[in-house]
Amino acid sequence: MKAVNKLSLVVATEFTSTPGPRYKIEGDFSGEIFRQSVLEPKLKQAINENAILLINLDGTAGYGTSFLEEAFGGLIRENEYDYQTIIKHIEFKSEEEEYLIEDIHAYLKDAQNEK
Amino acid sequence: MKKLYNEWKFKAYNKKRSANRNNRRIAYEIWKSNKRTSYLGVNKFDIKERKIFNKNYPKFIRVKAPEYFSFIKNTDEVIRLISYLKELYDTKQKVYVVLKDVKQIDYSAIVVLLSIMVKFKAKNIKFNGDMPVDIESREILEKSGFFENLYKNFEEKESYDISTIHSNGIHTHASKKVDSTLSSKVISSAAAYIWGEPRRCQGVQRALIELMQNTNNHAEIGKPGEKHWWLSVNQDKQSRKVAFSFVDFGVGIFTNLHNKTEQSKFFGWFEKMASKIKYRDNAQLLELILNGELHQTVTGKHYRGKGLPGIADVMRRNQISNLHIITNDVFSCPSNGTYKKLNKSFSGTFVYWELGEENESCK
Repeated sequence: MKAVNKLSLVVATEFTSTPGPRYKIEGDFSGEIFRQSVLEPKLKQAINENAILLINLDGTAGYGTSFLEEAFGGLIRENEYDYQTIIKHIEFKSEEEEYLIEDIHAYLKDAQNEK
Repeated sequence: MKKLYNEWKFKAYNKKRSANRNNRRIAYEIWKSNKRTSYLGVNKFDIKERKIFNKNYPKFIRVKAPEYFSFIKNTDEVIRLISYLKELYDTKQKVYVVLKDVKQIDYSAIVVLLSIMVKFKAKNIKFNGDMPVDIESREILEKSGFFENLYKNFEEKESYDISTIHSNGIHTHASKKVDSTLSSKVISSAAAYIWGEPRRCQGVQRALIELMQNTNNHAEIGKPGEKHWWLSVNQDKQSRKVAFSFVDFGVGIFTNLHNKTEQSKFFGWFEKMASKIKYRDNAQLLELILNGELHQTVTGKHYRGKGLPGIADVMRRNQISNLHIITNDVFSCPSNGTYKKLNKSFSGTFVYWELGEENESCK
């Protein structure tokens, strides 16, 4: 059944405007913390409610690749979500840096392939 | 002769004493001879200056800075200076940097000098220096805050913030961690200088995060979070550009690459590369790295903006200009396609770029 309800997650306001490194040991606002405290609970909610989680990546100072890889690739590696489940329930908005969406999809695919 | 002088105890004492005296005499002769030799061909004014120096700065080692003091334009000479200073740092010797003969200086060299100075002072090793006679070089150095910090004490810390009182001076930050909040603030104030309002420059932020992350993860083999990264930002009045100089004194890109462990996705990269792509030297290898070809060949996947090729992407997207990378025995300016091998290897990674009105930004 196709997900119809929409949930939203604005990284800049709901997490930070300055996303940082991969792991929390490397610095503040890490991808690891973002995944554990914001992204995974929201995704879980979206799956439970059969909704789509619209992640707005705009409005931040910019992203390091390790942050994005850990946040999204980590959903498959650490939280053991399935690639298909994730793409069914997540959509992205990134008008300021359009290439981020393609990169995140690639991180998800790589994490699935390495599983 | 008294009976005492014939005793073995006295004879042994006398033998040892005369051997000591003889050693002292020989050492003195060598010292005198060396001193005389060091003055050969030196005019008497210089001899006098040296004597005054030795009196004021006893046991300081004089280290002469190159006349053209720029890391990106006179790389070999500056690497030679850095290597010598590192040697003195490792042996805890007091240093006096002779800057008086410097004819030209720029911020790429100043950030290196500043970071080395803080390292010396944090270890309680005396570090001093003089001023360039050349007025322009002197002014640049004064505005950089170098002399303000030369007389300060520094402790060994996780992070440093060396700002100057001059509004257009050099601002230097150092840390061992990835500090995205700091980089965002630095970019915001750079943007305010360029565009007259704070803006976001996601490309610069990405470059800084990738570099900080690299230093944190790879600067010391097998010891993450061990080395500091240093970031200096200065505003150029004439061009209205802001120059970013990032340096770490880690092992450098190629040394790190050659020491990849089995857990790394780059383990065995050399064999994989050798079977597919021929390259001449590290200079050509850096070009392959920046184009993402090393990543593609070794992992079979696209690099997706990661690491150094990600920084090159930032340049290609016109988010930064005039990118320079110096690491180990390679000097490169990807902005104009220059990649060349250096005579002397730099232990670390130095990255320089400029941000100006023509680059991408976000309000």
